[in-house]
Parts: sequence; C-alpha cells; structure tokens
Amino acid sequence: MTAILGRAFLLLVLTLYTAFAAGPFIWAAMMSLRTTTEISNSHFGLPLPAHWEKFPQAWFNSNYSVYFANSASVVVTAVAILTIVGAMAAHCLSRYRFAGNRFVYFLIFSAIIFPPQITIIALFQTLVNYGLYNSLVGLTLVYVAVQLPLTVYILESFFARIPGDLFDAARMDGYSEWSIFWKVSFPIALPALATTVILNTILLWNEFLYAVVLITDEAKRTLPLGIQRFMGDQLEDVGMIATGLMIAIIPVVLIYAFFSEKLIQGMTAGAVK
Amino acid sequence: MTRSSDRPPWGAIAVFLLPALVVYTALTAYPVVRTFWNSLHKVLPNRPDEFVGLANYATLLFSDDTFWRSVRNTLVWACASPLFEVGIALLLALALYAKVPGSRFFRIAWFTPVLMSYVVVGILWVWIYNYDWGAVNALLRLLGLDTWTRAWLGKPETALPALIFVTTWMWTGFNMVVLLASLHSLPSEVIEAAELDNCGWGAKLWHVIIPLVKPTLLNLLVLSFIGKMKIFDLVWITTKGGPLWSTETVSTYLYKRAFEWSTFDLGYPSTIAAVWFVIIMTCVLVLTRVLRTRDRLEY
Repeated sequence: MTAILGRAFLLLVLTLYTAFAAGPFIWAAMMSLRTTTEISNSHFGLPLPAHWEKFPQAWFNSNYSVYFANSASVVVTAVAILTIVGAMAAHCLSRYRFAGNRFVYFLIFSAIIFPPQITIIALFQTLVNYGLYNSLVGLTLVYVAVQLPLTVYILESFFARIPGDLFDAARMDGYSEWSIFWKVSFPIALPALATTVILNTILLWNEFLYAVVLITDEAKRTLPLGIQRFMGDQLEDVGMIATGLMIAIIPVVLIYAFFSEKLIQGMTAGAVK
Repeated sequence: MTRSSDRPPWGAIAVFLLPALVVYTALTAYPVVRTFWNSLHKVLPNRPDEFVGLANYATLLFSDDTFWRSVRNTLVWACASPLFEVGIALLLALALYAKVPGSRFFRIAWFTPVLMSYVVVGILWVWIYNYDWGAVNALLRLLGLDTWTRAWLGKPETALPALIFVTTWMWTGFNMVVLLASLHSLPSEVIEAAELDNCGWGAKLWHVIIPLVKPTLLNLLVLSFIGKMKIFDLVWITTKGGPLWSTETVSTYLYKRAFEWSTFDLGYPSTIAAVWFVIIMTCVLVLTRVLRTRDRLEY
C-alpha cells in the first residue's frame, strides 16, 4: 500500500515538474493563436476561436519571412561548410600520425571553452576591415569558426574508433588518400556527422550574441534579432510577438520530434562547451 | 596504427587540415591575439591605435565600480546556478530511475527548454514575471498572497534571483538527462545491494549513488559554472543589466562599453575581455585539475 502511495506521489511530482518545464511554451503557443485584445481580456484563456491567420500576418506583414530566410540561409550554409571542413580535419587528426598532430588537436580543442567575448570585438574590427561587417557572408564565416572546435572534437573521437585495417584494405585496392576519406571514412561516420549537423543547426539557429554585434541592417536580421527588434518596437502587441516566437520555435520542435535521441546525444556530447 | 605512420603523407595532411586551420587562424586565433593587443591600446575608429601600456588594466581593476559590480553578479550567478541545477536534476533523475511509467516522455519533455534560444526564453519569462498579468503574480493572487506580488525583474533585489531561476528552469532538464544516462550505466547490483542492506533513502543517496555518479556530477557542475560566467543573451533580452546594475554581467558590461556607450574606444572593452578570458581559463584549469585527480571509485 505504501509502495503504491509512494509511486503515486512520485508521479504527481514528475507531472508537476513537467507542467513547470513545458508550461511557458504551451502558454506562448496558446497566445500565438489569440489576438492581443483577447489576451488582454484573459491572459490564460484557450485559443478559441483559433486565429491561424496571425501566422501569415506575421510572416508577410512583420518581416518574419525575411528573418526566417536569412536564418535559414546562414545556418544551412554554415552547417554544410562545418560538416565538410570539420570532417576533413577530424579524419586527418585521427588517421595520420605526424609531428604536431596532438598540438593542432589541442589548439582546436581548447577553443571549445573560449568565451565568445574574447573574440567578438576583434571579429567586429576584422569584418569591418574586410567589408564583411553587416553581411550574411561574414556572419556565416564567423559561425563556421565558432562551431568548428566542437565539431572537430565530436567527429575526431568517432573517427578514431574506425579500425585502421579498413584503410589498409582500401589502399591495397588502389584508393587515393582523398577517395579513402570520401568513400570509406565519410560513409562510416554518417551517424556522427548527423549528430553534429543536428546539433550545429539548433545552436546556430538560436545564436544571438554574434548576430547582434555583426548585423544591423533590418534586411539582414536573423530570426533571434528580428524577434528582439519586434519585441522592442511592438512591446504591447503580445499576441503578435507570441506568433513570432512560434515561428522561431517550430523548426526546432520539428527537428526535435524526428531526431530527439540524436539531438539529446549531440547536446550531451557537446556538453564540454 | 597503420603503415602510413612510417612516412606521413604530408600532401594529404595539408589538404585535409588546411581549411580548418585557415578558419581557425583567421577567425579564432587572430581575434584572440588582436583582443590582447587592443587591451594595451586606445583603439578609436579612423585613427592609428595609441599605445597606453597597462593603463586600461589599471583603470579596470582599481577604479571601475561598474566592472566589479558586474563581476560580483556574474560570480553569484555562476556559483548559485550549478547547485540548483545539478541538485534538482539529481533528484529528478532518481525519481525517473525508479521506473515510473512514461519516463521516456518525461525525459523528452524536460529536455525541451535547452533547445530554445535565450531570446525566446527571455521574452517568455518577461511575460511570466509581468507585474499586472504575469503567471507568477497571477498564481500568488490566486493563493491570496497579494502582498508578495511585485515587478520581479523591475526591482533590484529580485531581478538577479529571478534570472537565476530562469536559467535553473532552463538547464535542470538537461542535467537530468545526462545524470539519468550515467545512472543507467551503473551496475544495478550495487544499487540493489544497498536496498538489501536496508539503509535509509537519504543514506543510500549520500553513500552509494552520489559517489557512483560523482565524475558526471562534477562535470555538470563545472559546465554549469562556465556557462553562467559567459551569460549574455538572457540578460540582454530581459533587463539589459538593470535595474541599477543589479543584473549587469561581465558580458553585458563589455558589450555596452564596446558597442552601446558612445565612447568609441575598443581598447577598454578588450581589456575587460582579456581579464575575463584569463579568469575563465584559470577557473577551468583549476576546477578540472582539482576535481579530476580525486580517486575514481572502483566497482
């Protein structure tokens, strides 16, 4: 009897905590479907009737289509470059024994814990010098640099576990070093690559500090900047801000819905950061 | 290792490593060096940098009250957060470990907050803390505790604790998932043996479970500490360091000095960055050294 009571109590605590963890998002999701007038009348009401038209409104009238497209292009490009550059470096560091190997690894690895503040001012200066300030290309390059250490770190530990015999066999068959990478390492590492792709996508999608320093043009804002801007301009329009938040959250939720285990794996592997 | 270890194929190595090294050098290593260089100069736009020696450091360390205020806030945050986040996470992980129905669902639900950007989280909590209609005050009024209601982010006494609460809400689920994985990797006989020995729940937690997951616990504590030493986004979205500097962190102060206040000098904020960088790296080194050398438990 006490066991059942104990179990019930435990379940109650867990449910309460779930409400606490998820509550803010559910609240925002409900507000995203209600007009600001409805919200001011009752802040915790249900979205009845649901105003789905607010999504196209935010998308077309409040520039969210621009923010979304900017975020998407920066994140997709940066993640593509990161994956290839990171995989090449990780493959090289885990596969070849050469003087300076561990030194290069240590250099890149130690950058994982660098606080962004140590580079942000000089990056600003550098990008201004080269005309890449206030440009999505500049932001993309910076994003590649920011996530590169973590990517190399995760991939290197995976590549290091691929048995060397496989490479010897490939070399016997006359593969060049270059095609060994593309035809042996890369396909085998697909699960690890998927982890880094998903992890980098989420982290960069949410990135704020570099974007706020390096981008000022309205037409070049990424989603986090756009939301912040909208929040500053339309402080009272709670309903519309909530819709904007949902537009930023939905891609993340979709990725999480399909790849929850991969994502949890990536975030916890990236826990060193 | 393979036979290639006899004579490394330098050509291939160069091709594979060069792109990463170029990115690293240009956009990580060079900016770090340039920040240190800046910190010794007065850096004004369209003018050659003027060498000022350690003057920036002297001003920062000996006569900048705002800086020290931000250091205090950041340290309070960085020291309080790990205890809450990891402590609560451990209790929740144990609750899930006790094989409650739906543990998979709980795990996925609790992990969600860390996947959201600080911008989203910040705006949500600005609303939750809203004086007139925020969820916190609404709940207090519902419970008849009207005297407890206040503008949580608008009062210097409550703003920092309120933000610490937000990061705790955000990161506890993450720590919980990591701890749960670590608990599941333990041999179940050890925990069952403790059950047979009939020792109390608290004793079991303290003498059996905590020592077993200690390496993970320490990692998470360090991680949480470092994360808070760098915190910027959440403060910037919610309070911008106010009211009255009560939530100013080193990162927000640095940002203000570099890009908000019209002082135009990038040398002084670079000094803040350099000092804080050295402090963070020292903390990381000391913490990992102190925590890692402790004897690992054998089982």
